[in-house]
Amino acid sequence: MILLFAVCLAFSGMTLLALAMKRHQPQILDRKLPEPRARLARWSGWACLAVSLVCVLQVWPTGLALFMAIGLFAFAGLPLVFLLPYQQRLAWRLAMALPIASGALALVSA
Amino acid sequence: MNGSFRQSMAWLHTWVGLLLGWLLVAIFITGTSAYFREEITLWMEPETHDSTLTPNTLDMAVAVLNDKASDARSWDISLPSARHTVAELRWQPLQQRQQQGGGRHRGESVSMDADSGQVVEPRDTAGGNFLYRFHYQLHGVPREVGRWVVCLATMFMLIAIISGVITHKKIFKDFFTFRPGKGQRSWLDAHNATAVLALPYHFMITYSGLLLFMTMLMPWGIDAAYPENRRDFFSEVFSRGGEEAQRPGNPAEMVDIKPLIAQAEAHFGKPVTRIGVTNPNRDNAVISLRVDRDPAITARQRGGDPVQVYNGVNGELQQTLLPSEDPVAPSWRIYNVFTSLHMARFADPLTRWLFFLFGIAGSAMAITGMLLWVNKRTQQLKRDQVPGSSLKLVNGLNMAAISGLMIAIAAYFIGNRLLPVTLENRGDQEIQVFFLVWLAALIHALLRPNRSGWQEQVALGTVLWLAVPVINVLTTDSHLFTAVAWQHPALASVDLVCLAFAGAGGYTFWRLIRKPAPAKRAPRKKPAKRTTPSTTAPAGENA
Repeated sequence: MILLFAVCLAFSGMTLLALAMKRHQPQILDRKLPEPRARLARWSGWACLAVSLVCVLQVWPTGLALFMAIGLFAFAGLPLVFLLPYQQRLAWRLAMALPIASGALALVSA
Repeated sequence: MNGSFRQSMAWLHTWVGLLLGWLLVAIFITGTSAYFREEITLWMEPETHDSTLTPNTLDMAVAVLNDKASDARSWDISLPSARHTVAELRWQPLQQRQQQGGGRHRGESVSMDADSGQVVEPRDTAGGNFLYRFHYQLHGVPREVGRWVVCLATMFMLIAIISGVITHKKIFKDFFTFRPGKGQRSWLDAHNATAVLALPYHFMITYSGLLLFMTMLMPWGIDAAYPENRRDFFSEVFSRGGEEAQRPGNPAEMVDIKPLIAQAEAHFGKPVTRIGVTNPNRDNAVISLRVDRDPAITARQRGGDPVQVYNGVNGELQQTLLPSEDPVAPSWRIYNVFTSLHMARFADPLTRWLFFLFGIAGSAMAITGMLLWVNKRTQQLKRDQVPGSSLKLVNGLNMAAISGLMIAIAAYFIGNRLLPVTLENRGDQEIQVFFLVWLAALIHALLRPNRSGWQEQVALGTVLWLAVPVINVLTTDSHLFTAVAWQHPALASVDLVCLAFAGAGGYTFWRLIRKPAPAKRAPRKKPAKRTTPSTTAPAGENA
C-alpha cells in the first residue's frame, strides 16, 4: 500500500516538474505561469519525489530501493507523457487526487 | 559520416540500432518473459495444478523417498511455493555415484502431488525455460555461438544507449514531450520517452548482461592467473560451499523432521521451503532446512539461502548459516548488484511484476526505434515514389521481429495445450511449432511489407493471444473460471496477461485500420502514430 502511495506521489511530482516547464504549462493549466510560481512547482515536484523515495526505502533494503525508486519514477512519468497531449486536465486532477486517495488507503490498511 | 560529433553519434545510433535491432527486440521480449519463467512453466504443466501444500506434504514426501530410494546418498525436497504447485523430490542414488564419479550429478527426481502424495507425471514441455534460454543463447546453434551472438548484440546495445544519449538534443527539455499525429516526430517522441525515462534500467540490463558472461568474453585474466586449469578459477571464486561428501554410515533411524522445521521456522520467522538430507537413514544423517532469503542484492552468492543444519539422528542443531554475514569484496558486491538485478531471482512477486514492466518498456524502446527508422525513410519518399527494396526489406523484418515473434509465442502456448500429451519428444515439438510459425510470419512479412501486412499480422496476433485463455478453458481444469487457477494466482495471471496482450493487439489493429495512410504521398506508410495511453499499453502492442 505504501508503494502505491509512493507511485502516486511520484506521479504528482512528475506533473509538478512538468508544470515548471514553459512548454507544458499551457497543456496542464491552460496558461503560462509566472516564474516564481514555476519555481514553486519545481521545488514541490522534487519534494514529492523525495517523499516518494523515503516511502520506497521502507519497502526494500537501501540498494534495491534506490534502483526501484528510479524505476517507479519512470513508471509514474510514462503515463504522464502520454496523458499530456490528450487529457490535459486529467493529468492535473490525477496529480491532486491520486496521492490523497492512495495515502488514505495506506492509512486505513495500516 | 562527416559533420559534428553529434551527427556521427546519430549515424552510429541509427545503424548499430538497425543492424542488431531485430535480434535485440527478440532478446528483450523473450528476456522479459523470463521474469515469469517459472510461472510459464507451471502454466504449461496443467497436470500439476491441482496440488496445494498441506501439513502432511512433508511426511508424504519422506514416505515416497523412503519407498523409492531409502539408501540414497542424499535427498532433496522442495516444498510447493507460489510459483510451483507440486513438491519436487530429488535424490542421488548410492550406486550411480560410485560408477561415474566426479562432476555434479543431477540425480533422479519425481514430482509429488502435495495433497495426495501421488507421484505426478506432467507432460513433457519446454516451458518458460525455452524462452529464457533463447534470450541468452538462441536456439539451434551451438551454445557458445549463440551466447557470443547475444553478447555481440548486447555490446551493440550498450553502444546504442551511449550514442543515443549523446544524439538526443534536449533530454531534459523534451523529458515529458509527446506530440501525437505527427508521423516520424511522434515515433521519435515515443522512442525518447521509453528510452530516457527507463534509462537506468536499460543501462543496468545491458551492462549486467555482459557481466554475466564476463568469463566467456574476457577469459585472458583467468588464463594468466590459472594457466593450468580454468576450472580451478571457477571452483575457487564461484564455489557453492556445498557440504563435503561423507561416506554413508551405518543404518539408523532418523529423527522426525517436523519438530525441526517448527524450530527453524521459529528461528527465521518464515517458512522452510527446502529440506536436504545427506545420508538419509544412516547414523551420520544430516538435515539442512532452508528458507527463502531476504530481497538483498549484494549477497555473496547468488544461491545462498539462510539455512539451519541439524543432526539427522538426534535432532541437535549443528549450525545456522546466513549468507549475508560473509565478508564481501567490493568487486563482488558490484558484480552481485548488477547480476542479481538482471535476473531478479531475489524478487517477491511485486518486484517481479515491476521488472516485467521495465522489460516491456525496454522492448517498447527497441520497437519504437525500429519503426522510427522505417517511418522516417517512408516520409522522405517523394510523391508517387515507391519504397525501395531495402526499405521494404527492413519493414518486413521489423514485422517479423515484432508481430511475428508475438504470434510465434502465442502459438507456442497454444501448441502446449493442443499437441497430444503422449507425443514423443513433446517439448521439442513445441519448440518446432514456435519456429515454424515464426518462419511463416517472416515469409508473410517479406511478401507483404506494407500496411496491410501489418494489419494481417496484428489481427492474427490478437486472435491467437485471445485464443490462449479460451483454449485453456476447453482443454484444462485450471482456467480462469475455476477455483484451481485462482488458488495459484500465478496461473490466473498467465491467462490475464494473454488477455491483456490480446486487448493491446486489438487496440493496435483498430488504430491501423481507422486512419488510412495519407493517400498517394506515402502509400506504404505504417500507422502514423501509435499512442500509448498508459504504461501497460506499449506492453501489449509490442510484447
